[in-house]
Amino acid sequence: MAIKEKTNKQLFVDGILKENPIFKLALSMCPAVGISTSVMNGILLGTAVLFVQVCSSCTISLVRNYIHPKIRIPTYTLTIATWVTVIDLVLAAYVPVAYKAMGLFVRLIVAFAIITMRLEMFACKNPLPKSFWDGFGMGLGFMFAMMTLGFVRELLGSGMIMGYDVLGFKPLLYFVLPCAGFVTVGLMMGFFNWIEVVYERRKKG
Amino acid sequence: MKSIKSYHLLVGVLLIAALFLTGCEGAGHKFVKKTEFKDSDKIVLTFAGPVDEVWATNVANFSCYEKPDPDIVLTIKEAVLSPEKTKLTLIFEAPLNTGEAHILSTTNIMSEGQDMGAALLTVKKLYFGVLMTIFLGAALIKNFVFTKYLGLCVFFGCSQKRSTAIGMGMVFTIVIAFAATMAWALYQFVLKPYQLTFLNIVVFIGLVSLSVQGVDTILRKINPALFKAFGVYLVLVIANCIAIAVPLILADNEYTGWESFSLALGAGIGFLIALFLMACVREKLELAKVPPSFQGLPIAFVTAGLFALAFLGFSGLSIY
Amino acid sequence: MNQIIKITFALTISCVIAASAMGLAYTMTAKAKKHNHHMNVYNAMIGLLGFGEDNPAPSDLKFLNVYRYIVEDGDKKFLGYMVPVEKGTEEAYEMVLIDLEGNFVEKLEVPISAEKAEEAQDRAKALQKVLAAPKIFAYADASVIATSGGKRLGYVLPRKFPGFRTFIHGIVAMDPKFELLGLEIMEHEEDAGLGKEIEQEYFRNQFKGKSYEKLKTLEVVKKPLPVEYKKYLEKSKWEEGMFTEEQIAEIRKQYKDADIYAITASTISSKAVTDGVKNVAKKFAYRIDKLDSVLKKEKIHAAF
Repeated sequence: MAIKEKTNKQLFVDGILKENPIFKLALSMCPAVGISTSVMNGILLGTAVLFVQVCSSCTISLVRNYIHPKIRIPTYTLTIATWVTVIDLVLAAYVPVAYKAMGLFVRLIVAFAIITMRLEMFACKNPLPKSFWDGFGMGLGFMFAMMTLGFVRELLGSGMIMGYDVLGFKPLLYFVLPCAGFVTVGLMMGFFNWIEVVYERRKKG
Repeated sequence: MKSIKSYHLLVGVLLIAALFLTGCEGAGHKFVKKTEFKDSDKIVLTFAGPVDEVWATNVANFSCYEKPDPDIVLTIKEAVLSPEKTKLTLIFEAPLNTGEAHILSTTNIMSEGQDMGAALLTVKKLYFGVLMTIFLGAALIKNFVFTKYLGLCVFFGCSQKRSTAIGMGMVFTIVIAFAATMAWALYQFVLKPYQLTFLNIVVFIGLVSLSVQGVDTILRKINPALFKAFGVYLVLVIANCIAIAVPLILADNEYTGWESFSLALGAGIGFLIALFLMACVREKLELAKVPPSFQGLPIAFVTAGLFALAFLGFSGLSIY
Repeated sequence: MNQIIKITFALTISCVIAASAMGLAYTMTAKAKKHNHHMNVYNAMIGLLGFGEDNPAPSDLKFLNVYRYIVEDGDKKFLGYMVPVEKGTEEAYEMVLIDLEGNFVEKLEVPISAEKAEEAQDRAKALQKVLAAPKIFAYADASVIATSGGKRLGYVLPRKFPGFRTFIHGIVAMDPKFELLGLEIMEHEEDAGLGKEIEQEYFRNQFKGKSYEKLKTLEVVKKPLPVEYKKYLEKSKWEEGMFTEEQIAEIRKQYKDADIYAITASTISSKAVTDGVKNVAKKFAYRIDKLDSVLKKEKIHAAF
């Protein structure tokens, strides 16, 4: 029992750090570039992705023994599309302002490679609790990455965090401009790689 | 060779579309050959023969309004007739909203003493021009990769080599044009009338998968060689979020059939351009000395950022 | 063969389950969505009329909708205004047809309740009954007239106009003398950091207080926004004692006839909004005058 619990925890932590969907696996880059202009956007889209990922993982894990192997992929797509529609409708109804800020991206969660990949690699082979933790970790990892990007871009671009003015001036307007998303993601990826390289070197000697 | 063939196909389709669309234009009166907007505050009328100067330069003979606002008559400041007396330029007091169709009515047209009857003319942007604007908008100004940040997974995955980039871009263009046109029909004739628009996401993603399967089957039967070259990219189309974004955009904006087609074509060509440009740079980058922590994806992202900055320069571009 | 049947069966079942899940979600959220949208628009309208926490709206504040249609009868065109009228205590709607020169043509009673009149489809159904076959009608726009105690407080006009990217949905508010009360931007797709600034107070509050005469010739100037004026425009950031009454009056006077200061690096968006507001206001002022004179002449007791 103890071992199993540890595995759950491991799965969860891996999703956030070691297998971070954006910085490590480099999947679902579109929203990371497109709407990471503020921390709030990161939290909102992150929540939506977390919801879809957890729900889809659980659904597939529950019915994994009944899925005909030949129609595996269509079933995944259908499941994801259903949950995306649900979250899309809910967000549009209850938080219209935030929904507008995210534009098309909520509906585009349906095409995020990360979700289909987790279903194919993990949820269709593992029982419910494990799939849940895996999905939860992946979703949180996505959210964490989006928030980090949002933090950097919002702070440097508009001198604000979560909409509160902290710097009182705008250091580099370039960072909130649409095209800066690519550069920020590139720099962040390089930065994380660099940390890893330094860490490995220290460990060696 | 094979790729040249498909180029021909594309160009052919475009030409047919162009012929069809330009053939439809007419001004609405037999003596008036052409009506068009010029600058922001002028309408130019071209007549089939010379008209009387006294009649033409009297602004009281003309009245003009925007199609949705028939009660608000726009003031014409001046009417200028060209020396050969066939071209009349109406100058308006305020800038015109050229996005709307304008209705221009005249009193009886006088040509060399003859009465040619009154005319009720529609002045609007050429429909082909509207389509071209949508096409160019999707391909360059609002390039899906560099200004809307969609389809990045496939974009970074397939831009290592030029040959891969071209193959992927072409296959994608064909599939998306096919899928978007079907999505438009389905949305206009089934989903909207029966108020099932909340099923948009499911239906569109199903449609994209279906088009991929369809193109796959057709290509396999008709041209196995072409299939061998491009078949591998077909599966990747489903993973491209542009393929699902285009149907959603055309549903949101209530585009017509032709407009949807040009949007899809523009999106596809834009994707092809982006892939090709990126592949060219990345082939060169292989030879460059990049810091170890930036090798691979990070430097590709920074490069894409520079491209995106350059593509900002297209905004404000308008030809028609 | 057996397998095909199995797969088809499995797919059908999953599709049915998915469709019902989505249908359920749709029916559960549809109402909330509509309500939230209404509240959003309502709050924006209240704010534009100058009411807020420290200045609550009067209890008899009413928003009355006037729907404008374009009616075609053969090659003749009319404007059709669906106007709320007073009939005893009940509220009813009448369709007033006016020709293009502004002369009264016809008045028709529209059998529809006030609640249903807000729905475009219900309106179309009711109008179908009174405007029979050869006549074609097409919805143009809706204008809201705010009244309190039988007096007009202002006009609130939800409209869309072209922006730099796509259309901008905004609400323009004017007082009965067509002086601008304010502008609210509801939806747009302008670029973040650039054209998106049109939502900011320092831009849209510049329209506040412009007289109708000034509005006709309102231009956009490419000059930096004076610091003091910017502070004044950002009302939500005001602190206690930042401005004295005299200062406010002076700033207001100084900039009353000023043109609109363009947003840095977004002159096209700024110009698009200014032109949009100008057009909306001019067209409405022209039409409401015509409509009012017809209503007066024909002794139609409109509710506003």
